[in-house]
Amino acid sequence: MLEQLRDFSKLVPSISSIRRLTPLARREMVWGVGFLSPWIIGFLAFTFLPIIFTFIFTFMNLNITDGLLSMLSPSKYVGFDNYATYFKDPQIWSSATTPGSWLITIRFGLIALPIGIFLPLGLALLLNNKHLKGQSIFRSLFYMPFIVPFVAAIFIWGGMLNSETGWINRALVWLGVPKANTPLWANDVHWVYPTYVIMGLWGIGNAILIMLAGLQSIPTELYDAAKVDGANGLGTFWNVTRPMISPVIFYNLVLGVVGLFQYFLFPLVVNNGNGNPAGATMFYNLYLYKTFFTYQNMSYGATMAWGLFVVILIVTILLFATAKYWVYYAGETRS
Amino acid sequence: MRKTTTMILSLLVGLSLVLSACGPAATTAAPTTAPTTAPEPTEAPEATAEPTAEEPTEVPPTPTLTPYPIATCEAGKTCVRWFVGLGTGTDPAQITIQEGVVNDFNSSQDTIQLILEVVPHAAGRDTLSTEIASGNGPDIVGPVGWAGSNDFFGQWLDIAPLIKSSGFDTSIFDPALANSYQVEGQGQVGLPFAVFPGGIFFVPSMFDEAELAYPPQKYGDKYELDGAQVDWNWDTVTEVAKRLTIDVNGKNATEEGFDKTQIAQVGYNAQWQSAESVATFYGGAALKYTGDAPGEYKVDITDGWKEAWQWYYDGMWGDQPFIANGPLAGSPEFGGGNVFNSGKAAMGLTQTWYTCCLGDLAKTTEWQVGIIPAMADGKVSGRIDADTFRVWKGTPNPEAAFEVLAYLITDGADKLLPTYGAMPAVASKTEAFFNAKKEQYPTVSQESWDVFVQGLAYPDSPSAESWAPSPIESSARVGTFKSLMETTPPDQFDFDAEFQKLLDDLQAIYDKAQ
Repeated sequence: MLEQLRDFSKLVPSISSIRRLTPLARREMVWGVGFLSPWIIGFLAFTFLPIIFTFIFTFMNLNITDGLLSMLSPSKYVGFDNYATYFKDPQIWSSATTPGSWLITIRFGLIALPIGIFLPLGLALLLNNKHLKGQSIFRSLFYMPFIVPFVAAIFIWGGMLNSETGWINRALVWLGVPKANTPLWANDVHWVYPTYVIMGLWGIGNAILIMLAGLQSIPTELYDAAKVDGANGLGTFWNVTRPMISPVIFYNLVLGVVGLFQYFLFPLVVNNGNGNPAGATMFYNLYLYKTFFTYQNMSYGATMAWGLFVVILIVTILLFATAKYWVYYAGETRS
Repeated sequence: MRKTTTMILSLLVGLSLVLSACGPAATTAAPTTAPTTAPEPTEAPEATAEPTAEEPTEVPPTPTLTPYPIATCEAGKTCVRWFVGLGTGTDPAQITIQEGVVNDFNSSQDTIQLILEVVPHAAGRDTLSTEIASGNGPDIVGPVGWAGSNDFFGQWLDIAPLIKSSGFDTSIFDPALANSYQVEGQGQVGLPFAVFPGGIFFVPSMFDEAELAYPPQKYGDKYELDGAQVDWNWDTVTEVAKRLTIDVNGKNATEEGFDKTQIAQVGYNAQWQSAESVATFYGGAALKYTGDAPGEYKVDITDGWKEAWQWYYDGMWGDQPFIANGPLAGSPEFGGGNVFNSGKAAMGLTQTWYTCCLGDLAKTTEWQVGIIPAMADGKVSGRIDADTFRVWKGTPNPEAAFEVLAYLITDGADKLLPTYGAMPAVASKTEAFFNAKKEQYPTVSQESWDVFVQGLAYPDSPSAESWAPSPIESSARVGTFKSLMETTPPDQFDFDAEFQKLLDDLQAIYDKAQ
């Protein structure tokens, strides 16, 4: 990764190199920057400056309804108080009676991530099988749920999984499960994560498509060579398919991990964002949102956002650090 | 070359200025300060109307996918933005009426342009927070009650100077009611507009079927149960509600063989009432805290409130349930939270604002209104919500905003009050309000409407929606407790442990108050 950063730094021209440019090249550079300026200005105004401001907010005691001019008031600055609160907050770090938001997020991730990575891979392998008839129909069918608006899908699932009147529980009762033993789904602390996973799987069409694209980009010569070498199906998958699509798996993994830490909409819509049942759905990002917008505590919300950023950064760096052990890029040579 | 560079740089600077102008701007409004003392409990009723499910059970309110189209400000006019979204007023039928009021106002003069801005209730608070934070707050906010106003404590303009300079006649209001909008350290932050007394809405045909007498319609009257005259109190309501709760086999909750897992009709529903409201009706009006200053606030939930919540929980999950639990109330069959309107509840405790939302039921079923039951001590603990309009402190046009506010609570009120289901705060308008309601619901008897008039004598003081330290967070925590009760069966719910956890959490939240 450091090498990549060093390579990137070569792309950024130094002042002296700009001075050495010919007038024509310099003019072209100015025009180039000019054409890029809408994005640059947009980035500065709507991304970079807010990032800087949120960092400043972490040292203040700012309510969302305070004006920005209140930043000029020295009495609003509280030093590291927000960080001190952050590291003591039982909602973040767990207490004897409340599971912390980090723990909730990680606990859910341990269930959702493997399923979110390997199920699309398995389905993509099936869809890529040359023996499958009507491949394009199946691909369309698997992808179609992805285009259903997210909130609409959640409402539909909410109706289906209603513990009192949902047809899934009714079907279970019809099959002989006693009504008292049917799951409470999103209202049961033991079932709420599987419920979210089931709802989430509804939209895995996009991940399947990415995996499928990865599978179809594998040169058939490699499979032929493996066949000549006597590899069976499993051996072919392990020695050819797995390394060849490892960049795609890596891509999905990174997105999945980042998405996990930002997990938010399901608990907000399904459980009204109140953390029930028994605080099990107060995910980190949901708590952040509530702190910022519902409780209007801009400074503490900003502190939490920076905490989230740091954790995502560390996890992403760790993922990239492990990549060299299991991700194979075509054309790459390894000793 | 230099000329071109200068031109491009100028273009960049110009563009960045335009973009900056579009971005969040510093507000010149006085910033919010967290309240150091609780507002004085007022003599007059104070509360808010919440005709949307404040504590939705399982199915949350359907989000509006398309934003409300906001009119553009015409050149040469002083534009006043009217924000609707903190309370009632977001129902499509109400929006149409409000648009009519806007048109009436705009055509009545040519200097001010009133612009309506409607935000779905679920997003109202966040949207208003963001608008105020960006210095782009609306001029007028409402209708909004005390709870919604408390969320923006310190953001409301003291309109006393405007009342004086405009010569607005405040004698049309009950002085006590007008004074209830005087907040210590903030001034006169509103004027009375609407009041919403409560009552027990009931479906007579369900009582007939169960061979039960109707709830009394005059405070002090007894109820006839099994041939005896008994007090109309919560014990009586509980017994009656059990007999009105019917399973799919037609058995009621008191009968042997009643299947509580297959309830077809419930006897009672606290229709869109907050946890505090449920507790106030059952256990009496109270504040949730003691103490006068940050660092001194202590949690104080009365035994009456605890009993109320225990009763509420048992009503949903006990052996003889008579209240729809969360999943049942949230199901489409039970109206997605609007249980009484679904025709699956025999009684619904709520306020006059609920007359906004009875369209479906009224098409097929007659409903009437009975009095609020008495508490264990024989006293009635009623609840009266009150809504009004507020002027945002940061408004650039306070005079124009006040002119609009004055219009909305007087001339505009004739159209707005009926659609909000609100009784007028101006006594002279009461008759017109009830006439409009009778036209809307012709089968509802005069005795039923009179229940609301009688209800004005039973305000909750202090209001169930009074300010508490860290008002939003503490209120949300109590709401979470109610939601937990509604959705968690007894095998996963230890009432005493959860109640203690609520107290602990509230204390931690109060400790954060500044």
